[in-house]
Amino acid sequence: MSKRAEIVEWARDLYEDLDFTSVRRWLDVHPGRKACGYLPVYAPREVIHAAGMLPVGIHGGGDRLEIIRGDAFYQSYICHLPRSVIELAQSGRLSMLSAVLFPSTCDVIRNLSGIWKLLYPDVYVRYIDVPQVPDPEAAADFWVGELRRLLGDLSAISGHHPSDDEIRSSIALYNDVRGVIRQLYALRQQRPWDVPTEELYLLMRAGEVIPPEEFIVRARAYLGAVEAEPKRPRDNSRVVVTGAFCEQPPLGLIKSIERAGCYVVDDDFLLGNRFVTGVVGLEGDPLRSLAESFLHNEQRTSVMYEGDASGKRQLMRRRVKDAGADGIIFAAPSFCDPALLDQPMLRAGAEQAGIPCIAFKYAENSGQFQQFREQAGTFSDSIKLWGGGTAA
Amino acid sequence: MHISAGIDVGSGAVKAVVMRTDGREEETILGSASSRIRRREVDKVLDEVFATAVEQAGVDVIHYVATTGEGAEFSWATGHFYGMTTHARGALYLAPQSRAVLDVGALHTRAVAMDERGRVVDYKMTSQCASGSGQFLENIARYLGVSHDEIGPLSLQAGQPEKVSSICAVLAETDVINMVSRGITTADILRGVHESMADRFARLLRSLTFDGAVFVSGGLASDVGMLGALRDALAKRTAAGGGAPEVVTHDTAIFAGAIGAALWGGYRYRKIGQGGVAWTAKAA
Repeated sequence: MSKRAEIVEWARDLYEDLDFTSVRRWLDVHPGRKACGYLPVYAPREVIHAAGMLPVGIHGGGDRLEIIRGDAFYQSYICHLPRSVIELAQSGRLSMLSAVLFPSTCDVIRNLSGIWKLLYPDVYVRYIDVPQVPDPEAAADFWVGELRRLLGDLSAISGHHPSDDEIRSSIALYNDVRGVIRQLYALRQQRPWDVPTEELYLLMRAGEVIPPEEFIVRARAYLGAVEAEPKRPRDNSRVVVTGAFCEQPPLGLIKSIERAGCYVVDDDFLLGNRFVTGVVGLEGDPLRSLAESFLHNEQRTSVMYEGDASGKRQLMRRRVKDAGADGIIFAAPSFCDPALLDQPMLRAGAEQAGIPCIAFKYAENSGQFQQFREQAGTFSDSIKLWGGGTAA
Repeated sequence: MHISAGIDVGSGAVKAVVMRTDGREEETILGSASSRIRRREVDKVLDEVFATAVEQAGVDVIHYVATTGEGAEFSWATGHFYGMTTHARGALYLAPQSRAVLDVGALHTRAVAMDERGRVVDYKMTSQCASGSGQFLENIARYLGVSHDEIGPLSLQAGQPEKVSSICAVLAETDVINMVSRGITTADILRGVHESMADRFARLLRSLTFDGAVFVSGGLASDVGMLGALRDALAKRTAAGGGAPEVVTHDTAIFAGAIGAALWGGYRYRKIGQGGVAWTAKAA
């Protein structure tokens, strides 16, 4: 087995393991340490790490989990993610978590934090209200306060109260994580045939359940393996896939898009791991640096306030241009309010600029990919043969 | 001279063609090969079929290798095209008067409407049920002890075709077993199956808007019984005053997808002007 295949298989095993064995193993070899889960989209993992806890991404059960208990908590017009998260918890798979953070992604995630408090009174539950006000000074003060309270709470749970230097170390570590992720994304954009999105995605998912130090080592090893084992480029269309920032698409959907003749050159899968786009400064108050980096980053997404009235219409043009893409696939989870409310604005802006677009909806447990392949395949063909997209 | 290869990996068979694709006036098939998969490893069948087509073509350089169907992972592939796109282009090459394609595959049947350039403008597929597929017909023929080549001629000899369920493959198979026990002749049973399938195909085609002939591609294109039943079904389903579309096919209709892939590959090669080669005898 090649080095690349070895890393991808390691990542696939972690992705498929719904029992979070790697997290349990980490807790076994680090007696007295704790793990803290977080839901999409953005959670300050530096703070969790600084408190001495293992950050654990909770991204549902995908298409590998039968929902029995989860459906009892949510109506049929609610997305799939909270059902599978509840299912994971109610089946005991998340019992190793001492704390769970619920970022302010949407009302459903907020509601899930309330359910968690009722179901698991012994677990620390925190709804993370990220700043959405246009005044950067007020936003920074608010967000620093939130980060400080979160750090205090997590430190009380872990029993480790980090010094400023320890917080800076955690920030520096996540600067490295984001750095290697940026490298991976840049390489995929330049040579998508060498970094298939299926592999990149698996690697990113693995990074959600292992210590950041280990992720950096594996990600760098993957980059090395890619250079050592280059692949042949193909005559594929280059597409941006957007809308999948919270509930994650099943792996089969990503594979279907690629097999249909598309190179994914930009996406918003697992967006939390690159929500902060710059390098966080290591001078001064570390939590203020982290807060300001969050506020002054260039990431634009549906879960953040958009101050520019035409911002949504401009966004996809910019992303397509930056990625050198031929078209856009809007792939949003069914019933995802943030993604689906933004989609008409994003699409209108893209179509106004003559960018070919298609749209489809998925659920994390979608099992039939024929329709996605059909749409992506005809879309790719229409770009390659006719220079445009088809309405969907 | 530009050379392209087209490889169509279906659920039942692999087909490959090697073509000269310098432009529409210079499009010529140089070599072709096909093989049933029959529980063998698809990759091996694909390699064999490709090698045979290349050998027949007598070329040692291929500029663009285009795949279609399930062949996206083929190691020599330059690009992949969706099945509807390639069948439409292949149909236009084999019968220029075509404006619709009926692609009867082993597991699915697709009706595709296209324009004069081969651009897909609309399509419809049979749903999950296998009763509209070539595999279903093969199963029935096997129960009756009839070879693939005998199906069409036998069906044409039918005197009193027996109606078969057109909705469900399982029910249809039960129908056939009942017919056999009732002493219905093989010819009447086969014609009944053909009519049942043709009725579904006619409905698919009638849901599309096109102005021209229907080209039948896929494995059933050589089944004269099926073609006859389809012509009858289309005539029956045509509104008063309107004419039924002409049904055409070609000796090499089974290669329509592969031909379309090769032709689109040649087009892409000219369009992107990459100048490289996808396959050489030396590298292989």
